[in-house]
This record gives sequence, structure tokens and C-alpha cells, in this order.
Amino acid sequence: MVNEDVPAKPLIIWLGTNTCAGDMLSLLNAKDPGYQELISSIAELRFDYLLGASEGSDAINVLDDLQKNHKAAYILVVEGSIPTRSNGLYSVIGYRNGKAWTALQAVRELGAEARYVVAAGTCAAFGGIYAAAPNPSKCVSLQAVLDRKVINVPGCPINPEWMMGTLNHLIQYGEPALDDYSRPKLFYGETIHNLCQRRDYFDNSIFAAKPGEPWCMYKIGCKGPVTYADCPVRQWNGEHLSWPVKANTPCIGCASPEFPDGDVPFFEHLPDIKLPGIKVTANRVGLLTGVVTALGIGAHLMGSILTGRLAETLKKDLPGGSKLKIRPRLKKGHK
Amino acid sequence: MNWKKQRHSGTARLLHWVYAPAVLALILSGLYIHSPSRAFGFKRMDSARKTHAVAQFLLLNSYVARICYGMKDKNYKEIIPNRKTLKAMPKFLKYEFFLSEKKKEYPKYNPGQKILITSLAGLIPVQIITGMALYFKPLQRAVKTAGGLNPVRWLHYLAALMMVSSVSVHLYFTLTNSLKKLKSIFTGYA
Repeated sequence: MVNEDVPAKPLIIWLGTNTCAGDMLSLLNAKDPGYQELISSIAELRFDYLLGASEGSDAINVLDDLQKNHKAAYILVVEGSIPTRSNGLYSVIGYRNGKAWTALQAVRELGAEARYVVAAGTCAAFGGIYAAAPNPSKCVSLQAVLDRKVINVPGCPINPEWMMGTLNHLIQYGEPALDDYSRPKLFYGETIHNLCQRRDYFDNSIFAAKPGEPWCMYKIGCKGPVTYADCPVRQWNGEHLSWPVKANTPCIGCASPEFPDGDVPFFEHLPDIKLPGIKVTANRVGLLTGVVTALGIGAHLMGSILTGRLAETLKKDLPGGSKLKIRPRLKKGHK
Repeated sequence: MNWKKQRHSGTARLLHWVYAPAVLALILSGLYIHSPSRAFGFKRMDSARKTHAVAQFLLLNSYVARICYGMKDKNYKEIIPNRKTLKAMPKFLKYEFFLSEKKKEYPKYNPGQKILITSLAGLIPVQIITGMALYFKPLQRAVKTAGGLNPVRWLHYLAALMMVSSVSVHLYFTLTNSLKKLKSIFTGYA
């Protein structure tokens, strides 16, 4: 007789907080294994904020049951960042006992009892777009509100295989090897730049001057050198068809912890410097430094020439310098 | 017998002529890596990166050697600004800004030189640390502390700009202040 309380397959909760739903939609494009295989033979998706048919208390009861009766038996996947302003009221999962159950409360309560906690997408992993300035809802990453390990699977959106691979690894073998940002090294072990098919163009300085050109995107702000992800080899669109650079546009570093604020402008090599009231580009800072240095040196040189100091130095130090004709000084008695 | 006073020892000169070209090579190749342009003397990114890689290790080793030599020979005292340097600063600045005509002679380095050399000596570790953080993946932990690779890139670029300024000012004064002192970095004697 089958005991219905003991699930035959691993359980998954897919919770949506402040999210655009892009990560879940991306996962639906997974192949080998696909979404259908995930829910029919690999695991049991007990709760999904986007695909679940139940509503209201029926949906919340599923979460209650998992939290109470399946401790350390489910994987909690959180998609989206966690708003903390007004005690988290900027994202409400549902109503519990007539009160709003915020995402902040939900991830803390469900996360405390989960076997593994996975942050799906850059928003959940690092704050992402919802935590970008001015961040009115005071959004933070999942790790910032939990005092346990979170496995980060960043991307905007995630590549379906990054999530599918991570979930399968957790189910089949346990926790994968993680880097310092708690990302699986399987997918985030190398920079996009080092895996890029157009690396040869980079090494030979054959650069695209604008999007749409079939060469290295470095000069138009490609963030490949500072982004760890395997997009160039794994590619996207289900059938490993393409990825941003292959589509002749720079990588915008969507899997980076700094995304998006630390990556903008996307078409510039370095981010802007934000000072009170103004934004300065990196190139402008460079130009300004050069101009100030040149003006300083130029002004001093002019002063040295006009006061006769430079001529004096030459006369004193050059062999045969005493024979040099020095122009009269501007100031009398200048020594 | 040479009665001239030795200004720079052989060791100091040797190290200077290792790290000076290394710094120049790093500046030019670094600027090319930041914004590829033939104006920086490179045609290919590959050669700029190789130059940057070789020069960074030359700089790292010569810098560490110079620190060790400075500690052993106690000549760091001639370079690092102290209270006397700060006291002498107003008079020095007055002369340099053409507000005074009296040129004061200093034992070896004037206050401006001391600050310039010390700031360069302080910028080099920043470049070494940020450069290594960008170069070696195992240093990702340090990168995380700085807020990610983009901020580290920025810091590296900003420190490079400051070095370009400092080196430019250094070159200007060495070429215009005293040719005898300039000669001493080649011959050792002023």
C-alpha cells in the first residue's frame, strides 16, 4: 500500500515575489529534460505562482502543508527580489488567517524548512532590476533576508538549462560545486569573454562599431569580460540557436551581481560615475584628467619660460650652456 | 677619483630602469585595452594584453624589490613625507607658483617630489591588487568585497588615470628642473 504522506518524488515550491515572470517562462523552454519531464518523472511541482490552477486559500494551504508536513523534503525556488519596505507589503503572496502574507514572511518561513533554497534569476540572486535605483520598495536579494545558504542561479532571465541543471543536480547528487557568489560552477565557471566565438576578433582588434555588425562587441560595451556565464557555448532559444553576441548585440552582463546599475550604460565600456546631481562617463573622467594635467604642466612651463627659470636651468646644466643667449626676465632681480 | 656626490645608488637606478619602462608599457597597453586605438602604439589587442601581462610582472617584482631595498638601506626616509616636509611645503609651493623667487635646496628630494613618488608608490599596490583581481579568478572573493568586477575595473582605470597624471608631472619636472639631477638617474652622480 502506498503511503500518500511520503511523496515518491522530490517536491518543488516555485514562489514568485517581485518578478516579471521571465524566469518561469524561460524554464518552460527547457529541453532534455523539458518542463513536462520535470513535473512528470523528475520531481513534483507542488506550488507554482504562475502555472498553478488553485487560488486563494487552496493555494496557500498547499504551502502550509509543505511547511508543516514535509520539512526538509522540498526545494524552495524563489523568483524575484524581496521588498522590505513597509514590512514587505510591496509583495503579498496571499492571505493567511485573514492577514496579508508577504513575500518577506513567506520566504523566511518556507526557507527555514526547505531542504535547499534556490534563487532563480538575477532579481532573486542579487536584487536585480527591482533593486535598481531608486529602489522605492527597498528590494533585496533572497540571501539578504535568509540566514541559510541560498544557491544563486542568476540571469535575466535564467537560461532554462541553468535552472533545470541545478534542480536535477540537487535531486540526483545534492549540492553542486559553488563559487564565491554561491553560483553553480557548472554554468558560471568561466567568463562569457573567454568562451566567446568572437574571441579571435577581440585578440586581433576587429571590433564592431555599432550593434548589428558581425565582429567583437567589446568596443560597444560588451560586458562579456566581467560576466560569468556559459551563454556562448550553451546558447538560448531551446535549440541552442543563438545568444546576444551571435545576434550582433553586446552582452549586457545580466547574470552579474551588479546588474543593472553597475552595468549601465550597456553600450559603454565602463559604468558612469554618479555624483550628487550629475552623472559622468568614464571617458569624460579620463579626458578631464588629461586636460587638467596638460593645463597644469603647460601653465607651469609657460611660467618657467616667462620668468626665465627654464633658460637658467639650461644655461646652468647644459655643456656650453653659459654661451646661451637668455631672453630678458619679466621680473627684475629674479634669481 | 670621483669627488661628485652620489645621488642614486646602482641598485636604485637598476630598479628604476626596470619599473619605469614597465609603468610606461602598462599605461599604454592598459589604455589600449580600455579603449583600443592605434594612438597607444598597438595594432592588436593580443599584443597589448601580452605587453600588459609581462610588464605587470616586471612592475610587481621590481616594486617589491624596491620596497625591500628601501627598508634594508633605510632610504625610504628620504622619500616618505614627514612633518618637516609639510612644514617646508608652503615655501616650496610659493616658489613653484612663481610667488617667490628664492629656490630652496633640499638634501635630496623636494616636498613635491616626495609626495609625487609616495603617491606613485601608493598607486602601484592599488593597480597590482585590482589588476590581479581582474586577472585571476581565484581572487573572486576580493572582487566580491569590492562590489563586483565592474567596480574593480573602474578602480583600476581611475588609479591608472592618476598614475598617468603623476608620471606626466614627474617627467615634466625631471626634464625642466635640473638636468644634472636628470643625468644622475643614468650615471648615479649629480
